[in-house]
Amino acid sequence: MRHGRYRFIFGFLAAPVILYVVFVISPYLQAFYISLTNWKGISANPQFIGLENYTRLLDDEVFWAAVRHHGVLLLVMPLVTIVIALFFSFLLNLSGGQRGGKMSGIWGSKVYRVIFFLPQVLAVAIVGVLFQAIYRPDESGVLNGLLDLVGIDPVGWLIAPDLALWSIIGVMVWQAVGFYVVLFSAGMSSIPKDVFEAAELDGANRATLFFKITLPLLWDTMQVAWVYLGIAAFDAFALVQVLSVDRGGPDNSTTVLPLEIWRTAFNFSKFGYASAMGVVLFFMTITFAALTLRVTRRERIEF
Amino acid sequence: MSYSAGTPGDITRRQMLRRIGLTALVAGPAAGLLSACATGGSNAPAATTSAAPSSGGAVSPANPFGVAANAPLEVVIFKGGLGDSYATDVHEPMYKKAFPQATVKHVATQQIAQTLQPRFASGEVPDVIANSGTDLMDTGALQQEGQLLDLTELWDAPSMDDPAKKVRDTVAPGTIESGLIDNKPFLMNYVFSAYGLWYDSALFEKNGWTAPKTFDEFKALCEKIKAAGITPFAYAGKNASYYAYWMILISAAKIEGNQVLIDIDNLEDGVWKRDSVKQAAAAWAEIGKYMDKSFEGLIHTEVQTRQNQGKVALYPSGSWLENEQKSQTPEGFKYALTPTPSVTAADKMPFEAIRAAAGEAYIVPAKAKNPKGGLEYLRIMLSKEGARGFTEKSGNITVVTGAADGLDLSPGNASLSAAQTAAGQNIVTFSAFENWYKELETELRKQTNALMFGRISADEFCDKMQKAADKSKSDSSITKQKRTV
Amino acid sequence: MVSKPASHGRPRRRRNPLGAFGALSHVALLVWAILIIGPILWTFLGSFKTNAEIFGDPITLPSSYHWDAWGRAFQKAHIGQYMLNTVFVVTCSTALTMLLGSMAAYVLARYSFPGNRAIYFLFVSGMTFPVFLALVPLFFVVRQLGLIDTHFGVILVYVAYSLPFTVFFLSAFFKTLPTSVAEAAMMDGCSHTRTFFQIMVPMAKPGLISITIFNILGQWNQYLLPIVLLSGNVEDKWLITQGVANISTNAGYEADWPGLFAALSMAIIPVMIVYIIFQRQIQSGLTSGAVK
Repeated sequence: MRHGRYRFIFGFLAAPVILYVVFVISPYLQAFYISLTNWKGISANPQFIGLENYTRLLDDEVFWAAVRHHGVLLLVMPLVTIVIALFFSFLLNLSGGQRGGKMSGIWGSKVYRVIFFLPQVLAVAIVGVLFQAIYRPDESGVLNGLLDLVGIDPVGWLIAPDLALWSIIGVMVWQAVGFYVVLFSAGMSSIPKDVFEAAELDGANRATLFFKITLPLLWDTMQVAWVYLGIAAFDAFALVQVLSVDRGGPDNSTTVLPLEIWRTAFNFSKFGYASAMGVVLFFMTITFAALTLRVTRRERIEF
Repeated sequence: MSYSAGTPGDITRRQMLRRIGLTALVAGPAAGLLSACATGGSNAPAATTSAAPSSGGAVSPANPFGVAANAPLEVVIFKGGLGDSYATDVHEPMYKKAFPQATVKHVATQQIAQTLQPRFASGEVPDVIANSGTDLMDTGALQQEGQLLDLTELWDAPSMDDPAKKVRDTVAPGTIESGLIDNKPFLMNYVFSAYGLWYDSALFEKNGWTAPKTFDEFKALCEKIKAAGITPFAYAGKNASYYAYWMILISAAKIEGNQVLIDIDNLEDGVWKRDSVKQAAAAWAEIGKYMDKSFEGLIHTEVQTRQNQGKVALYPSGSWLENEQKSQTPEGFKYALTPTPSVTAADKMPFEAIRAAAGEAYIVPAKAKNPKGGLEYLRIMLSKEGARGFTEKSGNITVVTGAADGLDLSPGNASLSAAQTAAGQNIVTFSAFENWYKELETELRKQTNALMFGRISADEFCDKMQKAADKSKSDSSITKQKRTV
Repeated sequence: MVSKPASHGRPRRRRNPLGAFGALSHVALLVWAILIIGPILWTFLGSFKTNAEIFGDPITLPSSYHWDAWGRAFQKAHIGQYMLNTVFVVTCSTALTMLLGSMAAYVLARYSFPGNRAIYFLFVSGMTFPVFLALVPLFFVVRQLGLIDTHFGVILVYVAYSLPFTVFFLSAFFKTLPTSVAEAAMMDGCSHTRTFFQIMVPMAKPGLISITIFNILGQWNQYLLPIVLLSGNVEDKWLITQGVANISTNAGYEADWPGLFAALSMAIIPVMIVYIIFQRQIQSGLTSGAVK
């Protein structure tokens, strides 16, 4: 029995672990080593240079700009996405009143949910190309064409250094909201209806329903959402690459680490330096995930 | 070494111009202008290869490199403004004809670096690469790693058109020099390009505008054009800010002479802060003010299409522009080239000076499976038949002397040849740092946008560029290179 | 609107859907819906426009409807081929991800053995690895195995990179399942393997469905990995995101914007149809597990 058990454990774990070690762990370990060399991506014998790449990072302006942008993305993108998604899922699920003994959403909520989720099934590369046309900086852009109708001058969505990053965040939110609407909706529908009934009997209004009941009960789901969104905030590569001026511009105002890693490796042939950036990105991501899960840990509300 | 010193370099460049600009380009109406040299221009181009199909790799006059007749050949072509039909329809069939047993594999891509970087790292390299586009490979790094084949053998091989001649004597002088890395020829620069401001001569004629000779005239003209409701000058900030920095560099060279560009390439201390660079940057920043802010967010074809629609007057670019826009150019639109205006009255180079150079590098990887085949492929490209086919398919002329004889000239190419004639020996040199120091180049793109769209002053531009140049200079992981001409 | 008489004998005071709140809600929802549909519809219409129309007033309809651009996009851009490739790759890789991922998650969640936690954290930490860090070494690994430029290589890599989240998610899910059933089965002499496939997998269905959909979406949208792993002379093996990105650069060089929009539409429409048909399953599957 015992023997069979270990054989079973081994049998079930062998294939996934081997695959994972070969294709994920080993490249990462190599990358850590490469970050200590001046490898140019071509020769077989990279030269070991210790921590030189890391010290050089310290006064690399572009690198720090990218790090700052991840900070902004990390704060704003999840927050905006979650707020909008919560608002919509509340409208869609709970604001319609009771129907058949269940809290129900507003009229047409099913259709809305289908539409909202739609961007999620589009590839990011496609979304990027799509928004090129939306954000086009003159009157032929969709947004500026609309502004033109009401007599507002074209806005340089992606060319004003103060605005460009926000425009890109806008696309990320645009794509993400639907997923979280669906996620939160599921969370809300799992809240027992008597909780609402009781609250309603006590004369709670919509705001109270939302803040005092829905929100706390959704805390776990929101935590999951925050981690997903936070990890997405450390990427943003495809959108920035496709949308921004001169890939990360204007004046570095939209650049992100994956883009700089890509550029440093594939355009400048400095794989050692690029790997050092990657290692930093790695620690940033892992710190974020650990912090989020710690800080937001809270008493679970059981029902 | 200033432009006027009459150094050998300048002479070769002048000769190059004569030969390509005049012999290769011109026919018909302009033919009268080319009294000078027509070196070997009249040989029948059809003579190509009676090459013994196979000689199992034995060297023979028809097969000077000893290509194995059945060895497969892989060719990677950058499919950008030049397309790739010149390879699929001209050069590759010529190779197949010479070596019927060989299979030719054709790869077309826009992402040269992304496609090839990993392959270089692994040794799985193709045999010929057209290294071009926004994402081209860093040839300096490749050479340093011993990944590039020295092309001396190619240049010393007999020409396909006239076995008595070496290949090096069938191309415009200066071609080989432009492809040197560490004083050895590693790049075959194939396409001849001239740079300046492009406009629709029909539109200018209609409005009674003339191309400006000085920056004062330039500004006055911009006012007039603006009054007519047209954007006077524009470039695409999103992906082609280098079109604008070329203009700044050309102006700097006109003010101080080519030495400033050579010093920039050599990362000389303080070169970016020289008066010539500062004046050039300031002059162009003034012109930038006539540009709508939105152009920073557009890509080059979008701006070019706007020019075709008569919404943009002057556009900085190279001589491939006309061909690139072929399908978008409306009836009656006549491309014309004018040199960049003079900045000061004391400019070392006259208004007529233009930047002209052999470009579009083709390389053979040192670790290719069939490097001999790669060399032979390049030799085919450098034959008259190959070069002529290239010009027919891509609309661009090559460095091969006299190859385009008899081809009809488009308005843009006619204007180009006139500009070359006017320029004479006043040629602004190419910039090697664009390939040598990619980080510096990236920074220049960034700062050019900031300057041209009015976010920084010329002084700040110079400071930032100097800082970037210093950074590249002190970066031990970047190998330094030198040029003297 | 009131479907159920108030059983408490109290009149319903609120929830008049026509109230101000209801109206505002509808406005907000409608605006967002337009924000979603608008760009997609605009792209679709763009495929019928000419270059001049595309660069003109954006808020107009095409002057005529012809399918030239679609023909060009289909012929030159091979959208159909890329679509089929992607369907093939994603089907295989998702299936394999689910099989291997659930096996690993199950063992890690329900069996204690030395090294269990170590392996678990090895997997879970993978969620935070930025894929950029691994890109170049990964290429060599795949190449050394002779899998570069093959769909099989892409599939294996997709699986490997989907494992961290799959294992993380499913092991949490397996933990929530009651132990009694499995124990009973074992008592009856069911082997570990059979218990897993015949008892646990059916019980874990909601979680499995949700993570399957998650993986399909994630792998369908992959952009970086195929660019690196199918970088050779294998245009016929490209996946859809590569194709679209390529068309986008092509439009840059050849100034064929209607063609670009047509290609985009072609890439979007099938996905949309599949999504609309299966939207109920997708949405419920995606979330039923995630909230647990």
